Amino acid sequence: MSDDTDSTAASCYLDEKTFRLSCGLFLEHSSFLNDGWAWEEVNGSEKEGYMKKTVMVPCRISSTPCQSNQSRLVDGDDALLEEEQLCDQDEAVGEPTAAEGQAAVRYEYHVLYSCSYQIPVLYFRASTLEGRSLSLEEVWNNVHPNYQQRLLQGPWDTITQQEHPLLGQPFFMLHPCRTEEFMRPALETARAERKGVNYILTWLSVVGPVVGLDVPLSYALAVGPPAPKAEATTAASTASASASTSGPD
Amino acid sequence: MADDKDVLRDVWFGRIPTCFTLYQDEVTEREAEPFYLLLPRVSYLTLVTDKVKKHFLRIMKQEDVEEMWFEYEGLPLKWHYPIGVLFDLHASNTALPWSVTVHFKTFPERDLLHCPTNSVIEAHFMSGIKEADALKHKGQVINDMQKKDHKQLWMGLQNDKFDQFWAMNRKLMEYPTEEGGFRYIPFRIYQAMSDRPFIQRLFRPVSADGVAHTLGDLLKEMCPSAIPQDDLRSLRKRASSTVLRKTKGALALTIIQDKSKTVR
Repeated sequence: MSDDTDSTAASCYLDEKTFRLSCGLFLEHSSFLNDGWAWEEVNGSEKEGYMKKTVMVPCRISSTPCQSNQSRLVDGDDALLEEEQLCDQDEAVGEPTAAEGQAAVRYEYHVLYSCSYQIPVLYFRASTLEGRSLSLEEVWNNVHPNYQQRLLQGPWDTITQQEHPLLGQPFFMLHPCRTEEFMRPALETARAERKGVNYILTWLSVVGPVVGLDVPLSYALAVGPPAPKAEATTAASTASASASTSGPD
Repeated sequence: MADDKDVLRDVWFGRIPTCFTLYQDEVTEREAEPFYLLLPRVSYLTLVTDKVKKHFLRIMKQEDVEEMWFEYEGLPLKWHYPIGVLFDLHASNTALPWSVTVHFKTFPERDLLHCPTNSVIEAHFMSGIKEADALKHKGQVINDMQKKDHKQLWMGLQNDKFDQFWAMNRKLMEYPTEEGGFRYIPFRIYQAMSDRPFIQRLFRPVSADGVAHTLGDLLKEMCPSAIPQDDLRSLRKRASSTVLRKTKGALALTIIQDKSKTVR
């Protein structure tokens, strides 16, 4: 591997500081648009935090929640089902439409940083207005068919239920293993054109829509990468990021 | 690693005698008898409790049964944590057997992950292995292994086969000193009284001046409040080869904070 390839490979990953700074810039524009993103700090630690946004969307849900949430009473040895098949619509297809309805569902999106993989990861959860959590099947049913196709093709691109690493509660997560694959072209192009790229913006624009999260076009025009002299301006950037999350006045 | 073999075996074969009692409000056709089982510390609740499920299903109607879940003193037990971690975290100071309550209704959606099949457990297990290898070897070892090797790791755990498991796991535990050993130590620190589920951060096995980090160094940096200053001297084990809960290529440390500030 040539040095060039190595440095390109390295740049497909995101260090924690750049994550924070990129989020900061993203949040500034969000504040301007008043579209609901906020920075959540962890345990009063300035360094550790994540971006969060809550939206209400109309969704198809089961009106008989017990049936959709109930796991099949299978023996522990049921290794037939691959994880992709768990996301399959077999059961939903068989269900009569009378068992489904439209309802306003509260989707909560969190953008966290994974230090193990050095990339951002998208977590989300969904619940009805009555506070009932949506099942994996219901969430899957609300993924656009085009995206369902794509997700089913790659075993490591599925939506799975995971424990939120900071809150300890069940969330859904879009598996991060392919992040490098789709970030590489964007980052390489930017490099070639000597233009900076805001990693978080680029990444979220790709993964967000898969799970119903839109990133308006104005972000692409307004949000750039953190300044190269980030070391000198870290305090200032973080301060302005914190300020911007105090919300629109 | 050869001298560690005894310790590895002791860790693998660790068992927790457990008494499973059906939740009193569950609807049964006859009175429910408790069920006793020795649980492997390194495994997962939903993987080793088929017998528990069968035992209680015998006296219940199908319509009264949904996804089985476990609770200890009102706290839903996270099946995706190793059993040993759950016990050490919540019940290590109590008398054995460990008393766990079994539920078949009102699954606590906000607290527990669903576990409909063994594939879900396998996926979680493998995902932990991969993350640990990402930290140790940038994922190179796990990616170089074949699918059947991954399967062997899982089957070794599922069927409680130490040799089968370690035939594969030893590749993941290789510490090439000439290449600087592990890139980072995969660890998680669990604390009973904490907002966050665990502490997990990047930590190098060796300091900038080439001195091997110890367990004490790790704890001092990640969890200083847990260690009284004068106890640090007694934590001499090397972080990178310590066999404290060495499971699945990842190090899981359990810290219980009680008045005496015991470190396990």
